[in-house]
Amino acid sequence: MLKGAMKIKLSVIAAAALAVCAASLLVGPRFISPFHMSGLEKEIVLSIRLPRMVVSVLMGLGLGASGAVLQGVLRNPLADPYILGISSGAALTAALGIIAGLSFWGIITIPLLAFAGALITGVFVGAMGWKRGGFLPERLLLAGVGLGFLFSAMLMLLMSVSSDEGLRRATLWIFGDLSIADWSVIPYGLLFIVLGFIIALYRAKALNALILGDDLSHSLGFSPGRERFILFIAVGLMTAASVSLGGMIGFIGLLVPHMGRFLVSADNRVLIPLSAAGGGALLCVADLIGRTVIPPVELPAGIITALIGAPYFLYLLRRRDVLGI
Amino acid sequence: MRVKGLCFYPRLSCGRPGFLFGAMKKAISMKLPVNQDSGASTGWRTFSPLRVIPAVLACLLAAFSSSLTIHAHAEAPRRIVSLAPSITEILFATGLGDRVVGVTTFCDYPEEARGKTRIGGMSNPSLEAVVSLRPDMVLFTTDGNPREFEEKLSRMGIRTYVFESLRIPELPGGIRNMGDALGETERFSALAARIEQRIEGLKKTGKGKQHSVLFIVWPEPLIVAGADTAVNDALNLLGARNIAAGAQGRYPKYSLEEIFHQSPDIIFIGKGEGMREISGGLLKRLSHVPAVKYGKVFYVSDRLFRLSPRAIDGVEELAHYLRGEDAVPDGPGNGE
Amino acid sequence: MASDTTILDFDRVQFSYERHRPLIRDMSFFVGNGEFIGLLGANGSGKSTVLKIAGGILTAFEGRVNLWGRALGGYRNRDRAKLLSYLPQILDMNIPFTVEEIVSMGLYPYDIRPSLTEDEALGMVGLREKAGEPIRNLSGGERRRVYIAMTLLQGAGLVLMDEPLANLDIKYQVELLRLLKALRNERGITVVMALHDIHMAMQFERIILIKEGRIIGTGSPQVVLSREALREAFDVDAEVRIDEAGGTYLRC
Repeated sequence: MLKGAMKIKLSVIAAAALAVCAASLLVGPRFISPFHMSGLEKEIVLSIRLPRMVVSVLMGLGLGASGAVLQGVLRNPLADPYILGISSGAALTAALGIIAGLSFWGIITIPLLAFAGALITGVFVGAMGWKRGGFLPERLLLAGVGLGFLFSAMLMLLMSVSSDEGLRRATLWIFGDLSIADWSVIPYGLLFIVLGFIIALYRAKALNALILGDDLSHSLGFSPGRERFILFIAVGLMTAASVSLGGMIGFIGLLVPHMGRFLVSADNRVLIPLSAAGGGALLCVADLIGRTVIPPVELPAGIITALIGAPYFLYLLRRRDVLGI
Repeated sequence: MRVKGLCFYPRLSCGRPGFLFGAMKKAISMKLPVNQDSGASTGWRTFSPLRVIPAVLACLLAAFSSSLTIHAHAEAPRRIVSLAPSITEILFATGLGDRVVGVTTFCDYPEEARGKTRIGGMSNPSLEAVVSLRPDMVLFTTDGNPREFEEKLSRMGIRTYVFESLRIPELPGGIRNMGDALGETERFSALAARIEQRIEGLKKTGKGKQHSVLFIVWPEPLIVAGADTAVNDALNLLGARNIAAGAQGRYPKYSLEEIFHQSPDIIFIGKGEGMREISGGLLKRLSHVPAVKYGKVFYVSDRLFRLSPRAIDGVEELAHYLRGEDAVPDGPGNGE
Repeated sequence: MASDTTILDFDRVQFSYERHRPLIRDMSFFVGNGEFIGLLGANGSGKSTVLKIAGGILTAFEGRVNLWGRALGGYRNRDRAKLLSYLPQILDMNIPFTVEEIVSMGLYPYDIRPSLTEDEALGMVGLREKAGEPIRNLSGGERRRVYIAMTLLQGAGLVLMDEPLANLDIKYQVELLRLLKALRNERGITVVMALHDIHMAMQFERIILIKEGRIIGTGSPQVVLSREALREAFDVDAEVRIDEAGGTYLRC
């Protein structure tokens, strides 16, 4: 499966991803030398930069991998994890929780609510997209878009009737913010993202077959309806967990899988882990840039991902052979 | 005296701490096909029946009402609409409260202001609601009202005045100006003089040890008061150093690790509902910063966010905590 | 070439999407091992439906379909995939994979690698040098051959193909038929192909002529395609003639 050239490309990308992660610990508003750290600097690296790096990598990983899976499941190159309305659902429940002032599980209450909202939305979209014992891609897509609009409207409604304070916190979930990254939210985010990732990787062959078409995947021994369902669960888990970690960060789920197909391969056994690593590295870089360019002010990572991502995406579009999924 | 919209209104950098939020709200609303919010800012140029109908109705109403109000220009206005909480407070502080016929939904002080007719929010007041109150003067602020709204009202022949003060040193002058516009020079000058006196008094108390201070407007995301804010003025006045004064923007989103580096001795947190719970996570993470370690974290009122006479109370509140710290230099946990 | 072993057996099969419009009525036929069968009929006669039922994609609601003597529905997906493969009429152009990646998907039903390699399979369909190309750069005929290479790797003895000759130039039609016949001879695969072109039908050893979901004739094309049968199946007045050299042509 892996040829020489591909192996080299993959090692280069893996090395770059690791370098980015290491750099994000040392670079920031101020550079911290790894060789002589003061106590304060150690504290900053361990309790601020490290959890933030872990969260950004986890989120990027979940978004990149679920983008790759979803583009295949829906057979649509425009799909990204947010197209199914999952993130709007998460933002809505997070905002409701904030405005109602809920705090029954302490600091992770709101992330957990966001996670629950994302899962409920996922189930709802799944139920709407279900027909004759399987998912129909078009139905899923339309159900997701429709629900997404509904939730955005409800969110707007909520925002126009509630106080400024609550709203400011709710925007965290709408615009994505890694500055709240904290060790306390990491364990369950890690659990669900890794779980979803393993499921996706385990069904990568089925996903390849699904991209060929339902009849061909059936002929290759897969039941398209069932495979789509399993992959949908994987996407739901990864997206829900990543939204609850740091809100909605756009563009990674859309862009990174296309980059992966362009640079290495469309084979999902390679593409899923590649998109995961690429997504993690890209978000990590975006966050690194966001907190370094005009210190001590921080720019939201989502803005940076779009600023880096959009031009590259447009460049890809100009290349004839990368139009498809 | 400033009448009608000759001044420049900053569109996005409206000065209240919620400005970031306002911009975000706009950004979200763009995604929705039905877009009431941005319609307000494009005003007449957007030719959509839904927007034109109320505007036409408002025009008719305005024409009707102006035929009833005869030569209001010459006299001191009797029916005033305030489009900002700070203006409402100034009007009540000068005893003009009974002339106020309309306020925004944010005007919550003094208690009597809550009883007035609401004409909408600061960024999205209702033209129809304002016009139907038949005001002979509408007061605007540069700090959050849409500029187009003022132009529309002027075009209908309703007198407007724009309150331009954004900073504490500008407050007395702004109040005097407003008094001139309202034909109540005396009362307003008296208020301005009282404020000047208190500011002078505060300047004297501020001379002591120079504290480095961080004023947190909101803990998650971490928004702090930067330069060009009333909070910064207050800290300067009291001889304290705002560690975020060098950051770009009035209310920047601040880097957490920069707080470690700057290690402020005192942290103020703006009060809001449930702020203690909301800030709990942040303070836990800042536990090694001197202010947190020695219990010098104080929750203060939101008076400094609103440039009214009460802003001076806000400065005095900060002064109280700063002085308290002077009196007991090493004792942890006082004041809270 | 055809042996006596029956690998696919339709016994009084009925199928419909809607209750009152059966698409397949009371259909019975068998396919012997190594046969090369053309499923001939006008558009809408039910050819594709028959192939989909045979491939296990659709389930007959009456009658029995047996594969190697066992009920088709009783196979696990993966086991069935080792015995038969189905190639749809329309092969999506907009696929991101390379030729080689698609061909290797033929191995998906297996845990261990069967004797044939991707390279050999591509060699058999004459596309060895295109292995690394994205599939969307290939012509319609080449694309069809890529999927045939996939089924070779899949090792399925029975290949069901829905209208593979449609929309191909005559050159590619002939090439494809020759290729399939050669593969039948070399590897012993059985081919059932839906088609609507009478000329091409003459190239098959046996055809099954269907009309409105019913079989109206089966046997060698020269026998089945009588003037009457053509009129019934296609509503045309025409005749298949055989010239001195043994070639066939259609006399209208």
